[in-house]
Amino acid sequence: MSMGKASKYVALIAVLVVMAMMVTACGGSTASTSTGTSKTATVKVAVGAPLTAGAVALGKGMERGAKLAIADVNASAAAKKAGITFEVFSGDDQGDPKTGVNVANQFASDSKVIGVMGHLNSGVSIPASKVYNQANLVMISPASTNPALTQQGLKNVFRVCTIDSVQGPSAADSASKDLSKKVAFVVDDSTPYGVGLADEFAKQFEKDGGKVAGREKTGDKDTDFKALVTKIGAAGPDIVYYGGIYNSGALLSKQLKEGGVKVPLMGGDGLYDGEYIKLAGTAAEGDFATSVGLPLDLLPKGQDFTAEFKKAYPGEEIAAYDAYSYDAATVIMNAAVEVAGKLGADKVSTTAGKKAVIDAVAKTDFEGITGKISFDSKGDTTNKAITLYTVTSGKWGPFKK
Amino acid sequence: MLASTIGQQLVNGLTLGGMYALIALGYTLVYGIMLMINFAHSEMFMSGAYVGLFTLQLLTNQTIITNAAKVLPFMSGMQSARVFFTGSGFGLFICFVIVFGVAMVAVGFMGVLIERFAYRPLRHAPRLAPLISAIGVSIFLQNAVLLWIDSKAIPFPKVMPVHDIKLGGGVSISTLQILILVTTLVLLACLDTFVARTKIGKAMRATSQDREAAGLMGIDINSVIALAFFIGPALGAVAGVFAGMYYGSVSFSMGFLPGIKSFTAAVIGGIGNLRGAILGGFALGIIESLAAGFLSSGYKDVVAFAILILVLIFRPGGLLGESVVEKV
Repeated sequence: MSMGKASKYVALIAVLVVMAMMVTACGGSTASTSTGTSKTATVKVAVGAPLTAGAVALGKGMERGAKLAIADVNASAAAKKAGITFEVFSGDDQGDPKTGVNVANQFASDSKVIGVMGHLNSGVSIPASKVYNQANLVMISPASTNPALTQQGLKNVFRVCTIDSVQGPSAADSASKDLSKKVAFVVDDSTPYGVGLADEFAKQFEKDGGKVAGREKTGDKDTDFKALVTKIGAAGPDIVYYGGIYNSGALLSKQLKEGGVKVPLMGGDGLYDGEYIKLAGTAAEGDFATSVGLPLDLLPKGQDFTAEFKKAYPGEEIAAYDAYSYDAATVIMNAAVEVAGKLGADKVSTTAGKKAVIDAVAKTDFEGITGKISFDSKGDTTNKAITLYTVTSGKWGPFKK
Repeated sequence: MLASTIGQQLVNGLTLGGMYALIALGYTLVYGIMLMINFAHSEMFMSGAYVGLFTLQLLTNQTIITNAAKVLPFMSGMQSARVFFTGSGFGLFICFVIVFGVAMVAVGFMGVLIERFAYRPLRHAPRLAPLISAIGVSIFLQNAVLLWIDSKAIPFPKVMPVHDIKLGGGVSISTLQILILVTTLVLLACLDTFVARTKIGKAMRATSQDREAAGLMGIDINSVIALAFFIGPALGAVAGVFAGMYYGSVSFSMGFLPGIKSFTAAVIGGIGNLRGAILGGFALGIIESLAAGFLSSGYKDVVAFAILILVLIFRPGGLLGESVVEKV
């Protein structure tokens, strides 16, 4: 009996060994064929953005920008020569840190993902960046403006948008100098993005000689601001600054004006979207928002991008981050193409390849849609332009004195 | 200065409290009869807001009527009705009656359907089963709206001319706030009379005291339960339409926070007790507004839930609830 049992094990081991050999043989043969022929590979560019909940209008724009960039790079001679093709892999972070980390893990566990273009919200980008760091994935955010993102000392984290410590003070300078506002009431939505922006605004506004009449926190999903409006009305400001996203910001603006507090609302790039005007209606008239970079039609490549966008997405409007996402995705793909040229296209998705992509991104220096793109030692963009926009007759436009 | 701010926050709080009371009644009605917490109730509030929004658009939005007329030819007649609805105060009143009526009936029937298919098969199952089923219904409804309608928030059209009426002492109340308060109070009074005075109300009270005994006395338990599942969601729908009008937008996730707050209100007042739900709703609304006004907006939820904990510690049955001996 014991002999019989032992022989069964021997047979089992023999089968396993044969199977293992077949597997390695298969692996070996595919490897040899791919080195034999021209090395080609299809890799994925991950897009992490809020697509079903949160700032959906901005998130969908990120996806659109990335898709346009992927189509353009795939059609370029450099990518064809390197034998590398890119695919989009969208993950819906719902603007929520917990969901964002799940999405990040999903990206990290897919071996074909070579870089992440995302996320939108700073609150999502910061925890997700740690996941990408462990997976050696480069991450370029087109929109997260909280300074803390690039102050974690993570080598793989970059952004193509100007940070809040530039945007907040710039808004404060505009409010006190260009608009001659004296008393501000500062509200934020308790997210890292909103708090960072509001704090920077308040600091600079006081430095400029203005008075901050009140500082309040709300939630990023709040819809009821009635009690807050009464409080703001009692403080008597001549401008209200809101650090947050358009969903709640628009309702605050609407309820302010309905509640008889007829002063403009000012905010950051999170308000700069057509949805803001749709939700706030006529209350949005005369409200202000700063946004990163220069308006598209003032940029050399902006016209081309607008034309390309209209062709690919007829009937849709360019949102705040379409062009930034295009640039961010292009930076990742350019780096991947460069690495493919050096190591071979099939090596880009290996650990060494991904590390090489991070190094190549850090050395980026090219003229994008949104201007010249290069990164400082922390991974922040060297482009620090900020534009003030205002709503006139139901449309956002650059503010002119 | 201070007095006027307190007065103004009281007005805000009363309006908010009225909405909480309307939703809280739905929780308490169902709990009173079924001893079950209907976690899908917050989605009744959300559905009400959407049904109200779409009805209002069909009655008053020119482009939407034109587009609808392309599919349904008889809709073209609505253009002249639109002029009537938006033209005068009387037309607007009729328009609101239709909007609220449609929202109440549609969401009421939705509540009955949910009871029929998601809760009735589980009536003799362990108490946890219908609770989990309710959470499932809630997730289903949210995602259905997300998928079929829009993930983005939709602005609520401004049809009613809103202006402020000065109450003196620097306190003012808007016409919309008056509409919300008056409608809420009328509905609450109607429900209270209905349950206390009518024969069906008596049947409801009997069922709530002892379901089986009531059945033996010849009360049709199924229709009493269905009625509770009609009235509760219908009142929630009214609150939903008001929330859309008052705050300016509707979205698929709008039910969550008001749902939890109203549940809190129902517990504070004593769950299962109708007047308790009304008291709890108004108390919570006023406390929240005062907390937002005098502490900070960030603390309003903290204060609301801290009060829930305090009530549960010192009066576990709620303010008006009698401490019930556990049914064996």
